[in-house]
Amino acid sequence: MKTISDLKIDEEAIVQKIMAKEPVKGRLLSMGIVKGAKVKVMAHTLARQTWDILSNNTKVALREEEAHSILVKGLHE
Amino acid sequence: MSSEIKVAIVGQPNVGKSSIINALSNAKLHVGNFSGVTVEKKEIYLKRDDYDIRMTDLPGIYALNAYTPEEQVAKDFLVDEDYDVMVNVVDANTLSRNLIFTMQLLDMHRKTVLVINMVDEIEKKGGTLDEKSIEKLLGIPVVLTSAKENRGVEEIITQIIKLHNSVLSKNKIYYNEKVEQRIEELAKILRKSPHFKSEDYSRFLAIRLIDRDENIYKMIHDLPIFIEAHNALEKMYKDLESEFDEESTTDILANERAAISYNLQMETLDIKEENESLSEKIDNFLIHPIFGLPIFLFFMWALFQLTFVLGNYPMNLIDSIFIETSSFLADFLPKGIFNSVLTEGVLPAVGAIVMFLPNILVLFLGLNLLEQTGYMSRAAYLMDGFLKKFGLQGKAFVPLVSGFGCTVPAYMAARTLKNPKDRIITMLVLGFMSCGARLPIYVLLVSAFFANQNPGNMLFYIYIGGAFLGLIVAKILRTVLFKGEPEPFVMEMPPYRFPSFKALGMDLWIKTRMFLKKAGTFIAIAAMVIWFLSSYPVNNTLVQNYNAKIEQTVDINKKMNLKNELNAKLLENSYLGDFGKFIQPVFAPLGFDWRLSVAVVAGLSAKEVVVSTLGTLYAMSGATETSKGLVAKMRQNVDFKAAIALIIIIMIYSPCLAAMGTFYTEVPQWAWRIFYTIYPNVVAWLLAYGVYKTLALMGY
Repeated sequence: MKTISDLKIDEEAIVQKIMAKEPVKGRLLSMGIVKGAKVKVMAHTLARQTWDILSNNTKVALREEEAHSILVKGLHE
Repeated sequence: MSSEIKVAIVGQPNVGKSSIINALSNAKLHVGNFSGVTVEKKEIYLKRDDYDIRMTDLPGIYALNAYTPEEQVAKDFLVDEDYDVMVNVVDANTLSRNLIFTMQLLDMHRKTVLVINMVDEIEKKGGTLDEKSIEKLLGIPVVLTSAKENRGVEEIITQIIKLHNSVLSKNKIYYNEKVEQRIEELAKILRKSPHFKSEDYSRFLAIRLIDRDENIYKMIHDLPIFIEAHNALEKMYKDLESEFDEESTTDILANERAAISYNLQMETLDIKEENESLSEKIDNFLIHPIFGLPIFLFFMWALFQLTFVLGNYPMNLIDSIFIETSSFLADFLPKGIFNSVLTEGVLPAVGAIVMFLPNILVLFLGLNLLEQTGYMSRAAYLMDGFLKKFGLQGKAFVPLVSGFGCTVPAYMAARTLKNPKDRIITMLVLGFMSCGARLPIYVLLVSAFFANQNPGNMLFYIYIGGAFLGLIVAKILRTVLFKGEPEPFVMEMPPYRFPSFKALGMDLWIKTRMFLKKAGTFIAIAAMVIWFLSSYPVNNTLVQNYNAKIEQTVDINKKMNLKNELNAKLLENSYLGDFGKFIQPVFAPLGFDWRLSVAVVAGLSAKEVVVSTLGTLYAMSGATETSKGLVAKMRQNVDFKAAIALIIIIMIYSPCLAAMGTFYTEVPQWAWRIFYTIYPNVVAWLLAYGVYKTLALMGY
C-alpha cells in the first residue's frame, strides 16, 4: 500500500491507516490526520526528509519516518 | 455582595486564545507560574455587574492524551482544579479538527461555552457558520468572535454569567452503542468507590480509561475497586478492539470523535473549497526547497545585526547613567563599607548586566515576531533535516541561535521544545554557543596572540568552532545518555498572521520586569560577594608603606603605577587571592598562573568579569579589552599555549551564574542540574589540556 512519502507534491489522497505508535499517533489524530481524512502534500525538503502536509485546513510538518507510517489511497482508486 | 466566577480558558494552540484575552476590556492580567513547574500561568481578573470573574488561561493543548509538559499542566488543571465555567476556544478555519478536542472536553460534562474565533476569516472567503445549529447539536452556548475586529468578545462574558446562573444541561456526547454500553458498565464499577459517586464524573473517568489514559489509570490504581475495574477494562479492550477491528480502543474513540466533528462541520459550516491561500503563496517562497534555507539564514543574520546595532545605541547611555550614579553616590554617601560595596561592587556589576537589556529586548522582539507570524515553525521545518544528523530537533535551532546573543534568554527559548529529552539535550549544549559577553575576552586574547592574523576571522572561527563542538556533544549525549532516535517531529504550521502589537508590547514589558528584578537581586548579591572577597582582608602595613612611597613620588605616572602595584598586592593577599593560589594547581597543567585561574573562576559570576579581573590582577586598573597595556602585559606573562588553552576554557566551561540560575529554574531534576554543573568544566579542561600538550609537542 502507498504511504504519504510515496506521494508527489500537490497530490491528494485519503488516509487509510496510521501505523505510527503512540504518542505520535495521538498527535497526528489531534491534528486532524485521521482515518478517512483527505491529505495533500504541499511541499517537502530537497532531501525529502521533512514533509509539509495539508489536512483539514491544517498544515502539518512531518519527518520522512512519520510520513512513511501513514497509509493512504489515491483519490480515484 | 459580589460573587466570584472561576473560569478556565482552554483550546488547541494557534486558535487565538491570547488575542481574545487581550481584547477583553478593563481586565487585569497577572502572570506567574503554575505551582511547581515553569509553565507560564496567565490569570485575568475582571468585574462585570456584581461578578468578580477570575479566568485562568491554560497552555495550548491538542488533546487530553497529554504529550508535552504544558499539556500535562492544562490537563491536570481541567481534571483536578475547581472552576465554575469552562471556555473552549476553537478556530473557525479548522473547526472539525478543533472539535475533536471539544468532544473530549464535553466528556467531562461541565458548564462549557464554545467560542468560535476568527469568523471574519471564514466570512472573507464567503462562508457562513450556523451557530444556532451547533448550539442545538452540542447542547452548549456558542459565541462567534473575531478578536482581531473586537467582535463578540464581551458576549463571552455575558454567556459565562448566564451559564453560571443556570443549571447544567442534560446534553451529552453519545458514542457508538457498543462503546456506550462499556462506558456505563465501567462507570457502574467506579461508582462503588466513594470517590466517584457523581454520575458525570464516573462517566468521564470511564471514558478516559477506555481511551487508555494512563494518568486516570494510576488514579484508580490504589483503590479497592481496582481489581474489578482492571479486569473489566482488559476485557473491554479486547472485545472492542476485535469488534471494531482496530489496534487500540484509543483509535476507536478517536475515529468516533473525528466522525462526529466532521459531520458537525458539514452541517453547520458552508464554505467553498478555497483556491491557493495567501499563506500558501508566501510558503511557496519561504519554504522553497532550494531558496528556503538561504532566506532563513538571511533572516537570522539580520536579526543578529539588529540585536547588536539597535541594542548598542542605549548601551552607552545606560553605562554612563550607572557610572554617574555611582560616582555621585560615592561622594554623597558617607565614606565607609556601605559606600564602597555599593559604588564599587554592586552598582558597576548591576550596570554591566542592565547594559545588555536593550540587546536582549531586541532579540526577544525578533524571536516573538518569528513566533507570532508563524514563521518559526517554518524555520524548524527547514532546519530539521540538518539538526537530526546531530540528534536534535528542528525546533532546537531557535534557542541555539539565541545562545550567540545571551545564554539566559536561550534557555528560556528552549521552552519551545516540548519533548523533555530534546529540550534537555539542547539546553546542555547551549553553553557551547559563545554568548556576547565572551566577546571582550576573545578580542583581548586574539589581539595579544594573533596580531598577524585577521582578528575578525579568528573570532568567526571561535564562534563557529564552539557551535560545531556543541552539535558534536549533542550527538554524543544522544548516543550515550538518551539512546535511540530523536523524538518524532510532528508540528503544526499555522497560517501566517499579522502580529498583535499589544501582545508584543505586553510580552516585552513582562520580560523587562523579570530581567530587572533579577539584576536587582541575584546579580547584586553575587557582585557583593565578589567585592568582599577581593577587598578583604586589608593588609595595613602594605597600605602604609605604599602610601608613604606614593607621597614621596612627584611623577604622576609613577604615582599611578605605585597605586596599581598596591592594588595588585592587596588583591593577592585578599581572600580571592588566597583562593586563586588554592585553586591554581587545578589550572597549572594548562600553564595558568594564579591570576588567570582567578579570572577564569571569577568569570563564572559573569563573563564580563574575566577581562576586568585580568586588568586588575595584572596591575592595570581601569583596563579594557582594547587597552594596549594589558595586551602587552598578557603577552609578557602568558605563553601562547596557555592563551589557546584559555580560549578553549572560555568557549566551553560553565556560563555565568545568571545563566546557571536560569537552567536550574527551567530544569527541576537534581541529576541534570548536577551533570550540567560539572560536565562542561570537565570537557573544557580535558580539551584545553589536550591542545596545550599537542602544542607543546609541536614546539610552541
